[in-house]
Amino acid sequence: MTPDSQQRNTSEDERRNARFEATVHPGDHQLALEAVADLDLDRIPDPDGGVRVLVTAEEAIELVWRGYEVRLLRAHAISRLNPALVPDDVSVMEWLEQQVRGIARRESE
Amino acid sequence: MYRTISQLDYLASLLSTWFPQFFTRLTLPESSVQGRPVYALRMRAGGGGERRGVLIVGGTHSRELMNPDAIIELAVDLLVSYALNRDIVYGGRTWRANEIRIILEALDLWLLPCSNPDGRNYVMTVDGMWRKNLRDNPDTTCDGVDLNRNADILWGVTEGQTSCSPCSDVYVGPSAFSEPETRNVKNVLDTRRIDCFVDVHSYSELVLYPWGHAPTQTVDPTERFTGLPSGTCAPIGQLGYQEYMSPQDLLRYQTVGKRVVDAIAAVRGRVYTLEPSIALYPTTGTQSDYAYGRHIADSELRKTYGFTFETGPWAGNAADSFHPADPTLIKRDTKSGILALVQQCICGIELIGSRLLGREAEVSTLRSVRDDLLGTTGPGREWIALFERVQTLLVAMVLEDQRLADAAGSLVERVGSFIQAEESTISDDDVELGTYVIRELMERSESREMRADLQAAESRLREMAGLRSREAIERLMHRGPHRGYESDYESGA
Repeated sequence: MTPDSQQRNTSEDERRNARFEATVHPGDHQLALEAVADLDLDRIPDPDGGVRVLVTAEEAIELVWRGYEVRLLRAHAISRLNPALVPDDVSVMEWLEQQVRGIARRESE
Repeated sequence: MYRTISQLDYLASLLSTWFPQFFTRLTLPESSVQGRPVYALRMRAGGGGERRGVLIVGGTHSRELMNPDAIIELAVDLLVSYALNRDIVYGGRTWRANEIRIILEALDLWLLPCSNPDGRNYVMTVDGMWRKNLRDNPDTTCDGVDLNRNADILWGVTEGQTSCSPCSDVYVGPSAFSEPETRNVKNVLDTRRIDCFVDVHSYSELVLYPWGHAPTQTVDPTERFTGLPSGTCAPIGQLGYQEYMSPQDLLRYQTVGKRVVDAIAAVRGRVYTLEPSIALYPTTGTQSDYAYGRHIADSELRKTYGFTFETGPWAGNAADSFHPADPTLIKRDTKSGILALVQQCICGIELIGSRLLGREAEVSTLRSVRDDLLGTTGPGREWIALFERVQTLLVAMVLEDQRLADAAGSLVERVGSFIQAEESTISDDDVELGTYVIRELMERSESREMRADLQAAESRLREMAGLRSREAIERLMHRGPHRGYESDYESGA
């Protein structure tokens, strides 16, 4: 498992509630991967055309019980988007002002 | 950076307040599950009544954060281009100010930057990987309906990535259009003229067209989704089922889709894949399939060409693919792709014939020839595709040059009346008029492919002098611009 999301301190709750990014493979029994759809998992596009899912620990265990090989690649704690990726209101306003500079406009009433 | 839903709404509000000649903000009929208002912007330039329209939807899936920002930024780019007569430059793709002017004067753009405001807010405050809306699913601990499984096209048929389990991330909801957010999209389709539609998702760098539930075939029109049961909470269950699409619609999807892919690639070389939705994974109840399929389910409804874009590449893990730290370049690709789709939604003949020259009858005749005759053969469809490739240049030329506008008007009138009078023949003067317009186009074309198209058209036109209208149409139906007679085409291509 790639540990980058585990390098910060995580609470017990965060760990329990984390989702795992995983790829699913036919396993020793050569199970049909199409049947993974029957498990109602959160499937996300895989760059190699394989079956990639976001699963809880319980869902990963269920896949293994059913005979699939599951490769856990990464943990995603259930947490808000990194706030550093959200602009403040002032910069949003400044962006628009800069974009439309020079265009005649009707001021707010 | 990713704007909050309040910030997106505020920008839309300011645009409509500051620039009412371009933007009208609409509060859609239904608030979200958590009571947030949902807004759309209509963007256009110039006056007039109803126009062809394009509906651009973002934010359907909460965690796919880039696209609402891209849509609102596209609106601003278009405004600046039109108002200041500036080209839009997205990397290596320049959209000329004149192209933007034509788009805004020919079409109504209906922008729904974020159809799922609760979801966006939830991603930014609670769970960065949330996908659905925030519906409380009774008798479960699970929330949310997948808004791209809730539309009324094979709703509740659990083909592939579609589920009747409320805890699933692809939950279809308790009924078709059970969610206010999806009903808002349906409302725009129901109440406005929408000819083209795109639901902008992330990620995978794909341009998807119908169908999502089965492979597409163009041979058996009796194989249609309208004959399948819905709401079964089971897969289709017919081994080898393939969904029909008319050959002309498939060609149109492929022609327009290629334009979108090319416009994206020109920005910085990202090569999106054009494919049917099912190639990603099987689905039902999606918005783009619904937008296209509704005219099949109800022949009273307008045909809308529905696409889904999946913007952005795989970035090594799911979180960085859904919301990369810096989505600037991806948004630029996306905006170029959307502009290509929008541009392809302009109907050159309709714009020149009806809007500019008032020749409704001739346009109606030409439309019938296109749909009922040319669209039924491989070579005929090649002619339609050729016209779609050159029409943007034709419209620009007509708008810029009154002499050419007069010539094009005469040509539309002449062709229209020629087709209506079956016994009239193509005169040398007709050929000269057509050749004149074609050569003017050729002089202005910067594309080798377009010049080849135009040369082929001129060559075929010269062979038609003396033919009656029926003979001329039959020739077009059986001999394409670049190849020989129909036997050279694969059947049903």
